[in-house]
Amino acid sequence: MERIPVHKGMLCHLIRYSRPDLVGTIERTGQIQSIVVGLGRQGMKHAGLMRDFGTTVTAGIAPDRGGQRIHEIIPVYDSVSECLRENPDIACASIWRHYTTARDAALEIIEAGIPIVVLITEFIPRRDVRDILHAARKRNIVLIGGNTPGIIFPPEGIKIGMLPDVFYPEEPAPRKAGPSGVTVISRSGAILYHMSEGLASAGIAQNAVLGVGGDGVIGSTFRQLVPMAMEYEHTDLVVIAGEIGGSQEELLAQDIQANPAQYPKPMIALISGAHAPEGKTMGHAGAIVSPGQEYGTFQSKKKALEEAGVPVVNSQYDLIRVAKEKLVNKTYFQVSSYYEAMRRKWETPPAKPEWGTIITKIEPNNISISGYRLDEIILNASLLETAHLLVKTELPSDEILLQHNRTAVNAACQPAPDIERIEGEDVSQTLAKCFLSDRALAGFSRSGTDGPVNKTVYALGRFARYLAGILGHENVLDQAGPDTSFTSVIYGALTGERDTDPDRTRLIEAMITASVDHGVTPPSAQATLIAASARSSYEMSVAVGVGAITDVHGGAGSKAAGFFRQCVSKSSAEKIDLETATRLTVEDCMRQGRRIEGLGHRVHTQDPRRDVLWNLSESFGLAGPCVKISKLITGIFHQVRAIHLPINVDGVIGAIVADLGLPEDLAKVLFIFGRVAGLSAHYFEEIASQAPMRSISFAEAVYKGRKDRSFPK
Amino acid sequence: MRLYEHEAKKIFNSVGLKTPRQIGLIRTPADLNNLEISFPAMLKAMTLIGGRGKAGGIRKVNNMTEARTAAGEILDMTIKGYPVEAALVEQAVSERAAFYAGITTNPATFNVILMASAEGGVNIEQVALENPEAILRKEFPDNAMEMKEPDALEFARFLIRGFGDDRDLAAKLKTLIAGLYSAYQKFDCRIAEINPVIVTAEGDAIAADAKIVLDDNALYRQKTLMDMIGIAEARHDVSELTRDEARARDAGFTYVDLLHEDAPKDPDKLYVGLVPGGAGYGIFSIDETVNIGDWFFDGRVVPVNFMDSGGGPSQAGVAEMFHLLMDKEIVDIIITSRFGGISSCDVFIKGLIQCFRDRFRRGDRIVPVYGRMVGTDLPSAKTFLERAKRETPDQLKDMTIIVGNQKIMADVIREGIVLGFERMETKGAGR
Repeated sequence: MERIPVHKGMLCHLIRYSRPDLVGTIERTGQIQSIVVGLGRQGMKHAGLMRDFGTTVTAGIAPDRGGQRIHEIIPVYDSVSECLRENPDIACASIWRHYTTARDAALEIIEAGIPIVVLITEFIPRRDVRDILHAARKRNIVLIGGNTPGIIFPPEGIKIGMLPDVFYPEEPAPRKAGPSGVTVISRSGAILYHMSEGLASAGIAQNAVLGVGGDGVIGSTFRQLVPMAMEYEHTDLVVIAGEIGGSQEELLAQDIQANPAQYPKPMIALISGAHAPEGKTMGHAGAIVSPGQEYGTFQSKKKALEEAGVPVVNSQYDLIRVAKEKLVNKTYFQVSSYYEAMRRKWETPPAKPEWGTIITKIEPNNISISGYRLDEIILNASLLETAHLLVKTELPSDEILLQHNRTAVNAACQPAPDIERIEGEDVSQTLAKCFLSDRALAGFSRSGTDGPVNKTVYALGRFARYLAGILGHENVLDQAGPDTSFTSVIYGALTGERDTDPDRTRLIEAMITASVDHGVTPPSAQATLIAASARSSYEMSVAVGVGAITDVHGGAGSKAAGFFRQCVSKSSAEKIDLETATRLTVEDCMRQGRRIEGLGHRVHTQDPRRDVLWNLSESFGLAGPCVKISKLITGIFHQVRAIHLPINVDGVIGAIVADLGLPEDLAKVLFIFGRVAGLSAHYFEEIASQAPMRSISFAEAVYKGRKDRSFPK
Repeated sequence: MRLYEHEAKKIFNSVGLKTPRQIGLIRTPADLNNLEISFPAMLKAMTLIGGRGKAGGIRKVNNMTEARTAAGEILDMTIKGYPVEAALVEQAVSERAAFYAGITTNPATFNVILMASAEGGVNIEQVALENPEAILRKEFPDNAMEMKEPDALEFARFLIRGFGDDRDLAAKLKTLIAGLYSAYQKFDCRIAEINPVIVTAEGDAIAADAKIVLDDNALYRQKTLMDMIGIAEARHDVSELTRDEARARDAGFTYVDLLHEDAPKDPDKLYVGLVPGGAGYGIFSIDETVNIGDWFFDGRVVPVNFMDSGGGPSQAGVAEMFHLLMDKEIVDIIITSRFGGISSCDVFIKGLIQCFRDRFRRGDRIVPVYGRMVGTDLPSAKTFLERAKRETPDQLKDMTIIVGNQKIMADVIREGIVLGFERMETKGAGR
């Protein structure tokens, strides 16, 4: 349903009482921002349900959980003040804390000046509630609760609290909400639902449904809220649902008689408890009828309200009948469309289980990181910029990038751990061992807001160092100083060359960047996520991911490089053209039952990293016969085997590595290098946004990150 | 939770208020022999309900003979339906004047309010009605833990307006008032009241009576207080729990019997058990059942219970709610509503079905259940319900749960009552 603009709704009307300064922002942005305070089971669950309903849930607040994310995308702050520093326009807060800590949470929110505070917590000691009330009154805050199910605004599609989605707004045109209707204000949650559905069954809309809370001492009462609701121009009738106990109803009645001008609209009171026995506690703290008390009984409330001219009912049938009379049988929507909407809700099959990642979106022939297409990233961003983007979802400023460069270069300058290589061991195994044995890496802090990105950058620097050691190029790193670019450090570590050739350097970095991530499903990412889920250390989690990169996963580039070289040698040895030599080599392979590596992909028919790498190598004049073959191989393979297998990124990297005259093994090393950045990002995301020891179904992962955007020039 | 007078006096003593010497507590007149009583003494019925003075539950005795007679009478008494089980014996004090001082949270403003009157020892509500200026009231919106000295002094001076300039007494009353306020805040009271405050012939200000009602929500942080009065957990006020009320409390939900435990069953009437959702609808569903019974069934419908089945009970908790009502012989039908806000329809339906399956397997009595569910987790609840009905049709044949709110709850109650009467007739015909 198309909702009304939020600045025209009742919630904004309530905000205006306390913080008129926020209204302009709300009108401009079209958003009323809210926070969820207390992230236990209920707070977590309802943060998601509120967001699904349409509420803008800007952040969650929980001490010691700053930097985490709930429902994968909602950021968590340690305190309200930290949240407000970054999000100054928060207008609503719901509090889900335990009753022993609700007071402190409420006081913090009120002191921060958030105008609408919904206190869900029940069983708060009265002395604490009085403290909260005192603070709220001083700052003119609209406090709802405690022990309230919350407030919901069907025309705007906003709820703050736990009210289920069973209310219905005015519908002046099909699928389009209007602001008019009845405002329902109740002391009990369940009564709100039953009254509202009774009204809806008669075509009467609710423009706001407010639960004031079931306790004896609460924030806003009927006496405060009814005049506010009546002042809202689109409210046609106010229904209050009261109950035995307390004196709110009697006080409202007194106020109606004393200040009739504040009550210009019709009203109905539903009072429950006509048949409750005296002297028994009925669950609600507010609903105790003490023998001999002069207010608080069904009769005292009925009498007071009727004397003030308010009709009192005690059943759903009577409520519907009197409401129809008051509204002269006005209907706000087709009852059938209300029932249809309700039916849709209960006939919708249970949502498929899913979980989210905000790092990388994988679609056929498209990879994007935080909304930027990977081919654009390869073309425009350095490895460190890409690593920052992976972890932080935004590109770094020049200043931050400079810091990262220093961090990485410094990391590369520290000696590598002393690792013994077992003969024939896979380079990924060696690198995993380095990760696990590295005192410098283990000692580098990952705490604080920028801890994760700094640790990732440091790990990349260390990785360059490990490679230099494995490849025997450590001496090249001796000349690196604080002003050396990390790109040239990478080049030196990989090639052992002291003079960096800018084009070759750039091309190698592009291949590393092309390998940074492919979502959560590759075996390396799965291994890292499982370790992270069990809260293994950073080093262990990334190491198991690295260790999962093998000849089967990520190692195809080296094999492909070998294959292309074989074709080139055949061409020159037999003096035949490249195409023929390649076809003959493919036929040989098929006869011997050998795979051609670097072909085919489980997701992409045209690997989104292919063209950008080809183009770069050609534009630098670094493309040779292997790149040429790599562009022909798919067609040749089809001629031989009648199967269409497009070349993949491993194949392209293999070809370029071969043409650069580098060792074939380096293709796999480049892949691992890049993937360390991605694995690092996945580790930190898991820690920040998921519960420990969850059971991870990788097929259920859904990308929930930034929408597509173009790379800044 | 309301405290007995002797408990409240201990609390007041702990903040420096003076009380008459506490001699002891007796449960039989013979207990008097174990006490060292100096006469005159007071004998006071220990009840948690007001009005004992009017009922003769407070006596002044001048010797042991009078004491024995008075003790026998008091311990035989029933005040407003509650038998007196103990009496407090304390030193009688000479009385020069009697005041009233009480503190609570004003139900209109929710501020702490202190009230005092120079007319003590009488019905303060009467004074408030007939002579309002005899009461000084002051609210403390800042909710401070201690009272400011000038405020306490203002009350003290108000009380002794007729005494001339008695500085010593003013100081004593100031201490008493400030102590009362302090106790109210420190011990998380809902009411702290002294009626009367007695000014003795010797010029002391003492709390001759004491009333404290504690805030149950704050008991968790009142261990010192609980230790002081020697109880470990919250006590149920006024009346004892019925068997089923205690059973529900042990299972973690609130339940109140609306009928006496041994109430006879009228064969012409339909007795309805209610599993209604939260406390608010729990109260309202009683009204709905009675109203619908009156309007459409000649008043032949009797609701049996109040229940608070909201707040997110566990599956086992839900099953126990239905078990409890099915175990009650008097119940003919159970009407239920699950409007899932914080509670999940999924947990609800699983608990309900578990109850039916358990009883079927054990051969326990099954009472038909008629109701409706809507709200949180409805789609998965519906899937579960449909599968359960396919898999165990015999076990669930007496369970009718409407999914979704195509019918308002008043209609569902009405239909449930119709079904209940049909079953009654079938059963009657079979007899």
